[in-house]
Amino acid sequence: MKVKQIFIALALVFFATTMSLQAGGSEQGATVPDAPTQKSVQKPYESKTMSELTASFWQTTGINAIFDLNDGEKTSEPKGVAYEREMNWFESSLGRIMMIIIAFILFYLAIAKNFEPLLLIPIAFGGILANIPLAGIGGEHGMLGIIYNMGIANEFFPLLIFMGVGAMTDFGPLLSNPKTAILGGAAQFGIFGSLVGAVAIGFSLQDASAISIIGGADGPTSIFIANRLAPDMLGAIAVAAYSYMALVPVIQPPIMKLLTTVEERQIVMRKGRKVHRLEKLLFPILVLMLTIMILPESAPLIGAFTFGNFAKESGVVDRLSDTMQNSLINIVTIFLGLAVGSKLAADKFLVVETMGIMIIGLIAFSAGTAMGVIMAKIMNKFSKEPINPLIGAAGVSAVPMSARVVSKVGSDAKPGNILLMHAMGPNVSGVIGSAVAAGVLLSIFK
Amino acid sequence: MEVNIIGEALKFMLLGMGVVFIFLYIMVLVIKAQAYIIEKYFPDKVPAIPTSSIKDNDEKTRVAAVIAAVTEFRKNKS
Repeated sequence: MKVKQIFIALALVFFATTMSLQAGGSEQGATVPDAPTQKSVQKPYESKTMSELTASFWQTTGINAIFDLNDGEKTSEPKGVAYEREMNWFESSLGRIMMIIIAFILFYLAIAKNFEPLLLIPIAFGGILANIPLAGIGGEHGMLGIIYNMGIANEFFPLLIFMGVGAMTDFGPLLSNPKTAILGGAAQFGIFGSLVGAVAIGFSLQDASAISIIGGADGPTSIFIANRLAPDMLGAIAVAAYSYMALVPVIQPPIMKLLTTVEERQIVMRKGRKVHRLEKLLFPILVLMLTIMILPESAPLIGAFTFGNFAKESGVVDRLSDTMQNSLINIVTIFLGLAVGSKLAADKFLVVETMGIMIIGLIAFSAGTAMGVIMAKIMNKFSKEPINPLIGAAGVSAVPMSARVVSKVGSDAKPGNILLMHAMGPNVSGVIGSAVAAGVLLSIFK
Repeated sequence: MEVNIIGEALKFMLLGMGVVFIFLYIMVLVIKAQAYIIEKYFPDKVPAIPTSSIKDNDEKTRVAAVIAAVTEFRKNKS
């Protein structure tokens, strides 16, 4: 009974709207000749019967767009209309539904499991928006398309993020125990090892390079590289990179435990020496100088990173560094998330390559973690001071997530053993390391 | 053909890991050199003095406040 009532009410509302639309339409028809510059002038309005109106309205509903398999709907491309192609039946119907479900899974992970909600919420919502039929939100003149063109297509947002991360990073732990920086290098093996793997399963060298950078566990760098080397796969690469960053607490611990003994995990590390303020101030400049001399290809990333850090350590522009590490990075995160989400459109995401990218990304990430731990074990053997092998896992650059994970695994093995500060050293050098690796890959394909 | 491509990828790996390690190793050396130079020519005066003096002042003002409060309390009592 109730259902019937609701249905009748809906039908009434529907007719009322279509009637008023018709009325409005005819009014518009009358005023059109006065405004010849408007776009809508192209066709003079012709009287339509009620059934025609209803039918044409039905054509524009989402239900119709999703269930009509051969409606010849076009994809939305931020580059412009010329790049659009017709969707196949899967992309315009079932694919959309699948992607919206995936977005809900991401919501669940973000809200219930608290995995990087700052990234997953915008990305997943952007994904829903991008899969809305007919609205063209991901197109050149849609919101997501505009944001995409504004900062992803020209690699601008990743640099802003790097600036903010630089302003948030404290290099103190690294400076007080410099040799842990080598661990941040070892973890980059994930990138190059999976490069070989990706080539082996049939990706081209250039595509494989773009995919394997996921092993750096660094979203901004991945976007930066994907844009240069494989712009078609940007969406899948960005989504993979960010989802693995979010899954650090799930992926890393088993690998860490597998490769270390309980005794090793219980190693207590000595407290680092006190770091002079001047050292912190000069460090970003030194890194920048090194980059200028060795690898200018990485300079955009490292330049932004060191600028943020220098502004923080200078101590005289607190307003600027405060903006970089709070408001600016927050704004950019919203934009970046939504724009990455726009690549979750079914026609771009549900392709065969995505599966390969997700798998290679996971391997890259795990290999990086493993290599970091192994390197830390080797260092522990040869070093006078004890080094807990766990901190090697923080060499992947997901700052500060992986350092926190290391600390947690460490204190699980031995309560009260706080490794956080020791893990921050490899962690921040991992950021530098993956930016360097990115520069090497860029220099190869220059 | 395929073997060739994998060979290329392996070369990338050598180059990449090499550059990353060299870069970070130079960075480590530079950090150590920097620490040495700074400790030698700018001994920990800059941060040491202000922090200790602040602490000192802090302590003194706290003691002063306690004394003032106690005298006030005794005055009121008597």
